[in-house]
Amino acid sequence: MAGRKGDPMSDLVGYLVTGLGIGAGFALVASGLVAIYRVTRVVNFAQGAFAVLAAMLAASLLGAGVPHGLAETGGVALGAITGLLVGIVAIGRPGTSPGTSLIVTLGLGVLAYAVEILIWGDQPRSYPGVPGVAELAGARLQAHYLLIIAVTAPVFALMAWFFARTDLGRALSACASNRYAAQVVGIDVRRMGLLAFTIGGALGGLAGVLTTPVQQVTFDSDVALIVNGFAAAVLGGLTRPVVALAGGLLLGVAQTLAAGYGGGAYQVEVALVLMLTVMIVQAARTGPVAETAR
Amino acid sequence: MRRLLPAGLLLAVLALLPPLLPERHLATFVLLALAATVTVGVSLLMGYAGQVSLGQASFYAIGAYTAGLLAVHGVPPLLGLLAAPVIAAVAATLLGAPLLRLRGHHLAFATLAVQLILLSLLAQADWAGGAIGLQGIPRFSVGGFEVREDLGYAYAAGLVLMIAVLIARNVIESRAGRGMRAAATSETAAAASGVAIGGYRLAVFALSAAFAGLAGGVYAFYLGYLAPGSFPVLLSIEFVVMAVVGGLGTIAGPLVGATVIVLLVQLLNTLGTQPGMPDYAPAVLSYAVYAVVLIVCVLYLPRGLVPAARAAVTRLTAPDHV
Repeated sequence: MAGRKGDPMSDLVGYLVTGLGIGAGFALVASGLVAIYRVTRVVNFAQGAFAVLAAMLAASLLGAGVPHGLAETGGVALGAITGLLVGIVAIGRPGTSPGTSLIVTLGLGVLAYAVEILIWGDQPRSYPGVPGVAELAGARLQAHYLLIIAVTAPVFALMAWFFARTDLGRALSACASNRYAAQVVGIDVRRMGLLAFTIGGALGGLAGVLTTPVQQVTFDSDVALIVNGFAAAVLGGLTRPVVALAGGLLLGVAQTLAAGYGGGAYQVEVALVLMLTVMIVQAARTGPVAETAR
Repeated sequence: MRRLLPAGLLLAVLALLPPLLPERHLATFVLLALAATVTVGVSLLMGYAGQVSLGQASFYAIGAYTAGLLAVHGVPPLLGLLAAPVIAAVAATLLGAPLLRLRGHHLAFATLAVQLILLSLLAQADWAGGAIGLQGIPRFSVGGFEVREDLGYAYAAGLVLMIAVLIARNVIESRAGRGMRAAATSETAAAASGVAIGGYRLAVFALSAAFAGLAGGVYAFYLGYLAPGSFPVLLSIEFVVMAVVGGLGTIAGPLVGATVIVLLVQLLNTLGTQPGMPDYAPAVLSYAVYAVVLIVCVLYLPRGLVPAARAAVTRLTAPDHV
């Protein structure tokens, strides 16, 4: 981990930046969850699988000599295609309830294990990212974390622009706020749902290809990704991308701080306990019975 | 008679089948009976209390570690086995009090988070063997009689399953069971009719944890070795698959679901370990089977195998209406 021992200030800066880098990955997974949930009311359990598939493909392409940038784009494209396929199975049948769709995406996540092991085996994979060590306010950290942050920030800006300013994005937002009214004005809600799954897949894939150089990926890495992504997204009630971004960054920083000052142990627990606390407090505020959520 | 027949049938199978099985299939029988025991609880939780738990393997683990740790420290195995469901139920009550305020996917992720926390804590707990695991758990024994053979564990697992089934049946047929079924359909309506939902939900959560803990206790003595890796998140998902495939809200459902899944996986495992098959084949096949069976079932047989079969039988035996 980052930081020269002995200088508390540069240690802190190192932990913060590393945490923001890790958190940006969570935020991307979370925003994919949010993009899908807003439009379809489905919590997509296969969201972590998009990241794993994209990272695996990028690793293979890089290994075959495809240059950086192109290989990662290929990974993100695979994420988007997988997202579309998951969407077709999960919401393609008319009358599938969101609860049923959740179980279906759970099954698809397990199916992804079979595909991943079949193609790439069960060993962890990684590939080099931005080489070298960056110096920031006296703190030394892997330069790749800066790339993760540098890519995530414009992606979120682009999403904000897309949802607010383009016709397609506004049609998606219309489905999110009122499905019935959206249908009345002639928006094909099911097609918008599939589009949301595709966007979610691309965002998940992006998270995967960005974080793999600093965090190895195995076929079952998706559990950690989906749980952290959900934890970030749940802060904003699964519907607000900006809150999901803030949540992801907060989680990342909390984990690196816990790891840095807690000696490496208990960083998983910090994020999960944070998530449980948030959900319980939210439930206490809105009242225990929320039947629409089912 | 109608009430006694299915239970008698199950008892007969559990009593007569193990001696007929060859040694290598006995292990499958033990694990199947234990999985079915946990699934009875999951089915009760999902079908009657309307709650999805993606962390049921944590209570399996708590039961197993309770029995294992007590036995390693010289406590009589029977006492350890009895403590397993109690500790699991206590843990479920303490966790459930705050967690059961959550519904739907929130509860699913909360239970998943609980399991990840438990696995991480177990991996760091040196007193429980840490990541390497807890070794040297003695075999199960009562009053100087030691159970060494797989056959003994097959009977133990069968007994545990029988206990879970009988308790679940009595709970379902009780007043509390009817209240819970009402709450699973509409919580508001049930609450308005005077069903004490909160208490019932917590009770079912604790009961399902007790089933899992009891099964975990037998598992600990049977294998003699426990590690955090023995209780992956995927195990929790497997229990949900078994419950959903068999059919929620029936007693036969979890038994049929567990049997179908375990036998299918076993069959594909045999197929995957044939000479000439790549070494990743068993893993790929078993993941694929869980996934495909779950998805097809949820989409095309949403009520599960047992209710679908019952409906088919009713259709066939009913006189034709033109």
